[in-house]
Amino acid sequence: MFRLDADKAVEFCDGLRRRDFLHAGSLSFLGLGLPQAMGLKAMGAIDKQKENRNCIMLFLVGGPSQLDTWDMKPNAPAEIRGPYKPIKTNVPGIEISENFPRMAKNADKFALVRSMYHTAAAVHDTGHQMMQTGRLFQGGIEHPHFGCVLAKVRGPKGDVPPHVLLPRPIGNTGGNMPHGQNAGFLGKTFDPFVLNADPSDPNFKVPDMLPPDYLSALRVDRRKNWREMVDKTVSKFETSQDARLLDSTFHQAYTLMSSQKAREAFELSREPEKVREKYGMNRFGQSCLLARRMIEAGVRFVTVNMFETVFDEITWDIHGSKPFSPISCYRDLVGPMFDNAYSSLLEDLSERGLLSDTMVIAMGEFGRTPKVNPAGGRDHWPQCWTILAAGGGVRGGNVVGASDEIGAMPKDRPTTPAEVAATVYHSLGIPLDLELPGAQGRPIRLVDHGVEPIRELFA
Amino acid sequence: MIREIVLAGLVAASLIAAPALKILPESVELNGPEARHQLLAEALSDGRQEDWTRQVKWSSSNPKVAEVDAAGLVTPKSDGLAVIQASSNGAVASVNVRVKGTQMPFTWNFRNHVIPVMTKAGCNQGACHGALAGKNGFKLTLRGYDPEVDFDTLTRQSVGRRISLSDPANSLVLLKPTTVVAHAGGKRFDPKSLEYRVIAEWIAAGTPPPSEKDAQVTGLEVYPPSALLKPGAEQQLVVRAKYSDGTVRDVTRWTKFSSSDEGVANVDDNGLVKMNGHGEAAITLYYSSRVLYSRVTVPFENKIDASVYASFRRNNFIDDHVLAKLKSLNIAPSAPATDSVFVRRAYLDAAGILPTAEEVENFLADARPDKRARLIDALLEREEFVDYWAYKWSDLLLVSSRRLRSNAMWSFYNWIRDSVRENKPWDQFARDIFTSSGNTSEMGALNYFVLHKDPIVLTENVTQAFLGQRLTCARCHNHPLEKWTQKQYYQMANLFSRVGQKNGDAPGEVVVYAKTTGEINHPRLRKPLPPTPLDGIPMDLGSTDDRRIHFAKWLTSPDNEYFSRSIVNRVWGNFMGRGLVDPVDDVRATNPASNEELFGALAKDFSSNGFDVKRLIRAIMSSGTYQLSAEANATNQNDNKYYSKYVVKRLPAEVLLDAMSQVTGVPTRFANYPAGSRALQLPDTQVRSEFLSAFGRPNRVICDAGERSSEPSIAQALHVINGETLNRKLSAPDGYAALALKLGLSDARILDHLFLSAYSRFPSEEEKRPMLEELKKHRAATGSTEVRREARRQALEDMMWALLTSKEFLFNY
Repeated sequence: MFRLDADKAVEFCDGLRRRDFLHAGSLSFLGLGLPQAMGLKAMGAIDKQKENRNCIMLFLVGGPSQLDTWDMKPNAPAEIRGPYKPIKTNVPGIEISENFPRMAKNADKFALVRSMYHTAAAVHDTGHQMMQTGRLFQGGIEHPHFGCVLAKVRGPKGDVPPHVLLPRPIGNTGGNMPHGQNAGFLGKTFDPFVLNADPSDPNFKVPDMLPPDYLSALRVDRRKNWREMVDKTVSKFETSQDARLLDSTFHQAYTLMSSQKAREAFELSREPEKVREKYGMNRFGQSCLLARRMIEAGVRFVTVNMFETVFDEITWDIHGSKPFSPISCYRDLVGPMFDNAYSSLLEDLSERGLLSDTMVIAMGEFGRTPKVNPAGGRDHWPQCWTILAAGGGVRGGNVVGASDEIGAMPKDRPTTPAEVAATVYHSLGIPLDLELPGAQGRPIRLVDHGVEPIRELFA
Repeated sequence: MIREIVLAGLVAASLIAAPALKILPESVELNGPEARHQLLAEALSDGRQEDWTRQVKWSSSNPKVAEVDAAGLVTPKSDGLAVIQASSNGAVASVNVRVKGTQMPFTWNFRNHVIPVMTKAGCNQGACHGALAGKNGFKLTLRGYDPEVDFDTLTRQSVGRRISLSDPANSLVLLKPTTVVAHAGGKRFDPKSLEYRVIAEWIAAGTPPPSEKDAQVTGLEVYPPSALLKPGAEQQLVVRAKYSDGTVRDVTRWTKFSSSDEGVANVDDNGLVKMNGHGEAAITLYYSSRVLYSRVTVPFENKIDASVYASFRRNNFIDDHVLAKLKSLNIAPSAPATDSVFVRRAYLDAAGILPTAEEVENFLADARPDKRARLIDALLEREEFVDYWAYKWSDLLLVSSRRLRSNAMWSFYNWIRDSVRENKPWDQFARDIFTSSGNTSEMGALNYFVLHKDPIVLTENVTQAFLGQRLTCARCHNHPLEKWTQKQYYQMANLFSRVGQKNGDAPGEVVVYAKTTGEINHPRLRKPLPPTPLDGIPMDLGSTDDRRIHFAKWLTSPDNEYFSRSIVNRVWGNFMGRGLVDPVDDVRATNPASNEELFGALAKDFSSNGFDVKRLIRAIMSSGTYQLSAEANATNQNDNKYYSKYVVKRLPAEVLLDAMSQVTGVPTRFANYPAGSRALQLPDTQVRSEFLSAFGRPNRVICDAGERSSEPSIAQALHVINGETLNRKLSAPDGYAALALKLGLSDARILDHLFLSAYSRFPSEEEKRPMLEELKKHRAATGSTEVRREARRQALEDMMWALLTSKEFLFNY
């Protein structure tokens, strides 16, 4: 078949020769080239030293049981302490569950906060909102995910999106409420780039990343230009957010396509088989590996959802009865899956010198009932749970806060989701008094007045 | 003329005079020594309400009967009548207050006083003792939905430590919330508060239990029910509960408040509203499992000439209601849409197709004044209309081969299709589903039961699909923000406990029948409850009548507002881009409509005219409101919920794919479906299509309008740029580009045709010129005839690509 191929210098009526579209490389990521002019003096206060700070958020959808993971109570009665035993770690005095042997060898890299709690309804969705945005959504206002705030404040670095969500958004978890995984009132422009594919799939690739071979690069370029010519802003679309967003999605698509570096960042096949296996050949493991590649390529914030739902899937949500998960899955499936992916991620980032600039925060939406229920599982318990933080200035081998003797309530330094938000923003160098533009231009503070980061983590 | 000037003068004079003052509520009765009542002083100034409650001077004509404090709170002293007066700057208003029962013995009532105190203090909320597992061994029912259980918990458990009859102040229920004893939940009230006194005195009276004879709340009322306010204004709300014994009491103090839009208004715990933006907000009031709302509005600061409203085209009652709302908010409607915009919009919204170039030309050339009405009538009779709405109701009823065999899926789909074709009344459509028995291959509707074998899932999906109510919360506890209780949930579920199913003769065939036994137990009471449709009449547990028929009668009764509102909102949302209630399938009382008057009128019109869906569609499409332009004016840039302009929406995945097929002349191939099938003709969402998946086709797994997505994504852009779907259509040897060249059409003719078939309009000269120049420039200068023809074809394909990925193509406007 006849092809107008860019490699063959084809001459046109206007006498010009066209460059290979794929090497055009002049595109920047959406109108995001510069931080949005927010007209706020706080912008000037952004910490220059932390300009290259990143964050990987591992969201442990379902809600890990504090008592069977990282806050064991071996001396509590059997119906409290559950089926697992604690093991020692490489940090004297810190013990975690036997389900995480590799984490035990890396305890010097991460810190634990054992006194998390929230006071909203004990459903998954509220916790998702609060842990990813710092706030509970009320009165129709959806608050932005940390990564979307970073995208707004800092903009992209290079040809990759500033915030990537792997592998898929959180779906239905029963509450019919927003999960706090979007840009909310900041506008869809700052929503994360969603992978929507399973990186552990043997045929995994980002779909349609390159033109088909019958379409030359030159024609792709011509189409792009002609589309812009045809699509000169018609006034009827000015007020439609979806229409404006469409322009930016095309722009982002072209940027991704035209950057070899960006394309390669998504190619897991470039990793040695041994490395891939180290992370675990499953959706979460490969997503964590992809997260590392994203950070290396210039993505500022990566959100990895460990699961998409809590129904009919083995997750942290161990009610003990169908359609939920049994407590034994922490030993058989979920525990090893997390242990391998998390440990490999910390090891890799540390070896590559990326950990000091990349906060890795791993957390669920709540803890679980101290008492094992009649089905042998544990139910929702937002009164107390444990989260993990590493990198980005966090001192490893550090325990902040404590729970009571049965893991039911914070005993020492109760910590709220808002403080977690402040902690992430602090690590990223975004001033906590920054005001974001809300509905009708009403400024909304990044975190409420008086909310402080968990400073003990950084001490 | 002179008369008008005089009148105008009078109006001006009255504006300068003291504002009219009135007291709300208009009549007050205080029952018993502990009754209290908050009064409101409302002034009217410049057509806006002002809350003067805290600035007027309050006085009582007879302080021995009733006293009033500086904040307008009335306290009874002895039986009798008193007149309470409010005055300020010469304006005066008064209200009669009757006081009764001050000499009657009084004790606080567990159900009507103690529970509300604990609810307002937050003791029984989901995060505290209202949690399913309780908190620290103390478990109350969520928001006090079961006073009997709570009474037992408080008085009988924990060996009486929670309550000390001999020394009320030493009761844990008082020591904890006042933090005399450590309380993880913090301080909830003060020992000097009324909250404290209610509980202490109830204990001192010997903890009288809740009784069947207690007055029950029968309804709420709120003052003011709506208020037109000034920017930054504050407005106190007063909430009253009406009881089964005929009394009415001020329960403001025990009411939970929340705002539907905090960008417009905030409300504090005491019911004081603060306006912090322009627009309208609903303040939701929650008391004793009842909800109501008050509407507060601050009109936008626009100067709009009366002629703007006068020129708004009013074709039917829809327009009257929309206009009234726009006036109240000070928003000007956009101009009417042009014929070419209308024809494209009407085809897409009613039948999911684009008009062909020929159809557009005919419509534009038609000079008859009623051509739009004629077009609407014609569209409603088209086969594509049937495709489109059958697809929509298949989304609603979750038709798919995921859990139905192919033959069963087809029988279900064909029943829906036939129903749409004959414009089956919506009540009959629902009755067919819920009252039929027999073989699913003969009666396709019965597959709804096959898809919903679990009565619990059936209960939740039925209420979602046909009533717009999300019941799921009430499965485990009373709905936290709705009036539905867990008891109502299981009464409703028990209606579906006797749906029998057995295998038919052929695979995939099921026989559905009504059993005479079978119950669903309430999980806590561990017994079945009389089958009752939500707020309908219970059936006798002993009856062997088909429970589904009882349900269907209630469901489709013209008195069942949810039924008509739910479908009206879905149809309205299809055309107007946003439901009167948003999301389109969340029609609960706490989620108020953006135009309640219009919503009520539409629902009533629908139910009193035979539940005729086509009639409803015709009314919407005929309205001046639907026929407004999408282009904003200076006043309605941000309006997307009061219908001052047409809301721009992206074409649904299936419609978009079919439109691309139509303009390129190349149908999409779907595996196992006949060539030429359009996406909207597929009965099944399991049919593989990367295009449809990327553009947000729903999976039909959960009954939720949010399953369909119309948000743009990078994946969509990548797919149209690089993916196979559009690229194959453009380069097909029998596609439009190849055909046009074969016919030897000029570039100009080709562009005219493409604009008509893609945008339903001719291109302007300014648009055409640069496009023609580009096409010319990209003709090959050298090479064989074959090379030159190929170059031109590719250029045409690329121009078509640009047209078919432009906003004007992807959106309905």
